[in-house]
Amino acid sequence: MNVIEAIHLARTYRRGDGTPVAALRDISFTIAAGEFVVIRGASGSGKSSLLNILGCLDTPTSGEYRLAGENVSTLSDDARSHIRSKRIGFVFQSFNLLPRATAIENVEVPALYTGAAPDRARARSLLDRVGLAERAEHFATELSGGEQQRVAIARALMNDPPLLLADEPTGNLDSAAGESVMQLLASLQEGGRTIVLVTHDEHVASFADRELVIRDGAIASDTARRPWRQP
Amino acid sequence: MRASQVIGLAWRSLARSKLRSFFMMLGVVVGIAALTALASVGEATRQETMRQFKRMLGTFDTLTIRPGANSTRGMPSLGQVEPSLKFGDGPAIATGVRGVKRVALVQQAFDLDVSYRNETTVPLVLGVSSNWADIRGEAAAHGEHLTEDDDRSLARVAVIGVDVARTLFHDEDPLGRTIRIADVPFQVKGVMAPRGSGPGGASLDNVLVIPVATASKRLFNRDYLTTIVVQLDDADDSDRVADDVRALLRERHRIIPPAQDDFTVGSPRATLAQIAKVGTTLSKVVTGVAMIATLIGGAVIMSLMLIGVSERRREIGVRRAVGATRRDVLQQFLAEAALISVLGGAIGIAIGMGGATVGALLQKLPPAYMWPMIGAAALLSLLVGIAFGLYPAWKAANVDPIEALRS
Repeated sequence: MNVIEAIHLARTYRRGDGTPVAALRDISFTIAAGEFVVIRGASGSGKSSLLNILGCLDTPTSGEYRLAGENVSTLSDDARSHIRSKRIGFVFQSFNLLPRATAIENVEVPALYTGAAPDRARARSLLDRVGLAERAEHFATELSGGEQQRVAIARALMNDPPLLLADEPTGNLDSAAGESVMQLLASLQEGGRTIVLVTHDEHVASFADRELVIRDGAIASDTARRPWRQP
Repeated sequence: MRASQVIGLAWRSLARSKLRSFFMMLGVVVGIAALTALASVGEATRQETMRQFKRMLGTFDTLTIRPGANSTRGMPSLGQVEPSLKFGDGPAIATGVRGVKRVALVQQAFDLDVSYRNETTVPLVLGVSSNWADIRGEAAAHGEHLTEDDDRSLARVAVIGVDVARTLFHDEDPLGRTIRIADVPFQVKGVMAPRGSGPGGASLDNVLVIPVATASKRLFNRDYLTTIVVQLDDADDSDRVADDVRALLRERHRIIPPAQDDFTVGSPRATLAQIAKVGTTLSKVVTGVAMIATLIGGAVIMSLMLIGVSERRREIGVRRAVGATRRDVLQQFLAEAALISVLGGAIGIAIGMGGATVGALLQKLPPAYMWPMIGAAALLSLLVGIAFGLYPAWKAANVDPIEALRS
């Protein structure tokens, strides 16, 4: 089954003076459940615009985005918020932890918006899974970059979403920390989770099954990096 | 989000920036403290004024009739009033008006020298009918009150207040002694129970009573009264009785409207209502000022919240990305504003009540707390928080997560 179907996606922004700028033009591809796909492209290529649409933060100007078969490109802000809450986990380049909250509180944030009862045990087990159980009560600002990114990954997993979106997750990390974060991310693919990762780093791209290259808002290439294993 | 989570989140956010929270609530604290303190001090003062009137009048179930068209205030001396209230008016009211329990007659003067040996004082001298003390419902502290026989026989006897006793007799027992009122000799037959201070703080014990008939015939040589005091069977009936008394007196005094009445019927209740109203006007002004202070506090909350929103754009972006709806974000920021304002209100109420207690004790009054005002202050702080939090919260809810997360 396809988790992601992008059908002729286009996204046009308007500059301050009203001139339209096409960030994405006619992008079509599908991503199957359980795939680990990397999207590469130079800065300004449109890969961030694409990620925003895939993450339901933004909607395409034209075309259709189907998430698990459902057309979500015309949904309301609230409906997209609910989709983000339950079905998408985000990992950012700059971690984006809440600085005034502890590691475990950061992990729990997504659970606030599901309407479910607080589940500290799950947050703790996720921190354990990313190897930071003993740092649970530390404030975000007391953690190293690699630790912060691992907390952010635990946060992304809090509501057990089938889709993880990562935007340059190693961009702010040294190579050792980056390596361990990439291994952690790659391990999350087990169990059928789909991972889409945006990067311009060739080494990071090597962890993925498949590589989409974006250039000038269009797909320049779509290649399998290694045989994709059906989970 | 669940309500408990919303409040918990707001609480943690405020607790983790204590200095900012302190400044946010400062204005509300000051405003609400002022509101609570001033209202409570005002209430204590008002209650004390009521007590002073109660001490002066002895009871509230009375009507007071005075000569002249408009004599609601002050205490006229016998020589200064119209000679319109006659001795016969009293019994006429007692028999002619339904719901009247007692009618006391009073002639008063406060310009007479009263002396004993070398000591002289100028108390309020009241010629009163013997039932005057019954209306007040107080026994003499020492000796006896005036009797009907004293009145009938034009006895030259006096019952004196404790101030007069102290001034004239010091430690001597006044009973049986002869004092001179405007050079007329009177024998002291009793000392009144102490009454304390009346409205304005003047002593109510610098007073002396003699039989009204004696006063009229042997001291003042006047055949009219300064006051008729009517005690009612039922205090709630005072409006009806006052109307009947007016009708009766108009008839007796042959007053045909549109001619003006030559008397005024006053009730302690009306006077007290007026006092309460004056108090209300003052407290309205005070309340207005304190409310403005509270609103300024609200404006401080709003401006600091707006700064907070722009500082926390990234946090908002993250929360939106992980699933918060606009409404969730709005709730979070609104809860912070409301919580800080309510906390400020609670602290303000505590400070205000403490201040009111100190203020009352400094004035040697029993503290009184105006609970409706305190309740209103608490509600006001909540409303201020919501009203001034709404715009920042709306701004927060409309932060574009894509913008906010762009690193």
